[in-house]
Amino acid sequence: MMERAGIELKNLAKWFGTRIALAPVTLTVAPGEVVAVVGPNGAGKSTLLRILAGALHPSAGSASIAGWDVVVEPLRARLRLGYLPQKLGVPLSTVVGDLAALVAAVRGLPAEAGAEALADFGLADRLDAMLGEMSGGQRQRAMLALATLGPIEALVLDEPSISLDTEGAEDVREAIRAARHAGAAVLFASHYLSDVALLADRIAVMVEGRLVACGTVEELALTAGVPWDARAAEAPIERIYRILVRGRPDPQRAPGLTLVRGGAA
Amino acid sequence: MTRRALLRFEWAAARRGRVVSIFAVGFALASAGVALAGLSAGGVVAVQGFARTSVSLLQLTLWTVPLLALLLGAVGGAECTELEFLAALPAPRSRLLFGRWAAWTLALSAALVTGFGAAGIVIGTLAGAADVMRYLALVGVALLLLSAGLAMGLWIGVVARGRARAVGVAVVVWFVLAIGADLVAIALLGILPAHAATWNLAVLLVANPVDSARALGLGLFRADVVAGPTGAALHRLLGGQGAVLLTLALVAWTVVPLRLAGRRFARRDL
Repeated sequence: MMERAGIELKNLAKWFGTRIALAPVTLTVAPGEVVAVVGPNGAGKSTLLRILAGALHPSAGSASIAGWDVVVEPLRARLRLGYLPQKLGVPLSTVVGDLAALVAAVRGLPAEAGAEALADFGLADRLDAMLGEMSGGQRQRAMLALATLGPIEALVLDEPSISLDTEGAEDVREAIRAARHAGAAVLFASHYLSDVALLADRIAVMVEGRLVACGTVEELALTAGVPWDARAAEAPIERIYRILVRGRPDPQRAPGLTLVRGGAA
Repeated sequence: MTRRALLRFEWAAARRGRVVSIFAVGFALASAGVALAGLSAGGVVAVQGFARTSVSLLQLTLWTVPLLALLLGAVGGAECTELEFLAALPAPRSRLLFGRWAAWTLALSAALVTGFGAAGIVIGTLAGAADVMRYLALVGVALLLLSAGLAMGLWIGVVARGRARAVGVAVVVWFVLAIGADLVAIALLGILPAHAATWNLAVLLVANPVDSARALGLGLFRADVVAGPTGAALHRLLGGQGAVLLTLALVAWTVVPLRLAGRRFARRDL
């Protein structure tokens, strides 16, 4: 086993037949660091996260969680992983309390740990409800509560704020902050660039399966050739994103733009 | 710990589903109906005991149990491939599948026993308790068939891409097992010389869980004569030992597909 390393991807690639869903990507998320993955639909964000969760098998390269390879030692890796998929990932007929008991049991926690986690998310009175009977926001909060249950060392979230109201989105932000505070490596995909700018220490930009840029907002602004004084104004994250995704520098600025081409960050 | 937690989780889900209660009530009504019809057709009901109606109940079982088990297994197996949150938990994927098989087998077994129990009460009340032990053995055969059908259905479900395709394949498999195999047997009898046909038919019998269950069930009531061409062939080859072979074959029809399903599920992308 390697030394504790949060999340580590080395030349990780995935292809389905002749279609390349993920070109070799190298990326590290240190313990206590938050990295956001952004990019248009079909960029390979979910593929990357799903490989980490063990839902997809990599075609090449490796991925590890807290030093445990997700293919070679999947159970050890998943014991340290909290994962929230984009789709629900459990039947709608599942009773929340049953799911909480299951997650607690497989993580080796006391039976009541799941219910307590749900209570922390304001769902103490929904233990007997089926997921299908809950609102979209409640459902997402319940899944987030269970994804972050136990002493996880890596948190992987795929579009966690999607279809959430303001309060629900704040719960997600709070869960990410709490995981970071607890020393977990956090990797999340999002289309909400304001959340990304607010939460992420670094941002990885993906286009057509490739990692085209990765760095802090300041670094990405520099790469994109977008002028920005961090002391004076909020990050022009949308403009930076558009330029990086388009793959061309801002025509008004930065003639010497260089994007990541090897897919490493 | 993980096994028990998964079994408890799947058991709760299986119990909540309407399918089990609908099957329990439907099978109970159909079984009781078959029992009543069988007894009244016999005329002298007091001396028939369980034997006559059991043969009719066996036919009901051979048609409904594999169909339901294959369909439920196929849908359940296909659904497993969508359970990304559960698959990301620190438990082997195959255990998720075995938990589902065990829970559904328990739940549907309870429904099946309810159905046979209803028929048993009718038969016992109207015709006495003669052959009741054989009747219980017949319930055992039905449970083995149920378990095998669920295992095969789960295998189909995790191999097929999508629920609709899994259901389609399950229906085709049921048709082949319940009807197609007999047609093949009849064709073999017409084509092959007697000795070769006997061996081929015996193999065909073991290779088809529905046929195995039929031959076992009919053998219980010494009705081998109506066990079809495959059953008759096995009887010629093995005599009384055939029952052991058929029981083992039915167990294998649970173990092998379940292992294959577990292996496939562990290796496939979700």
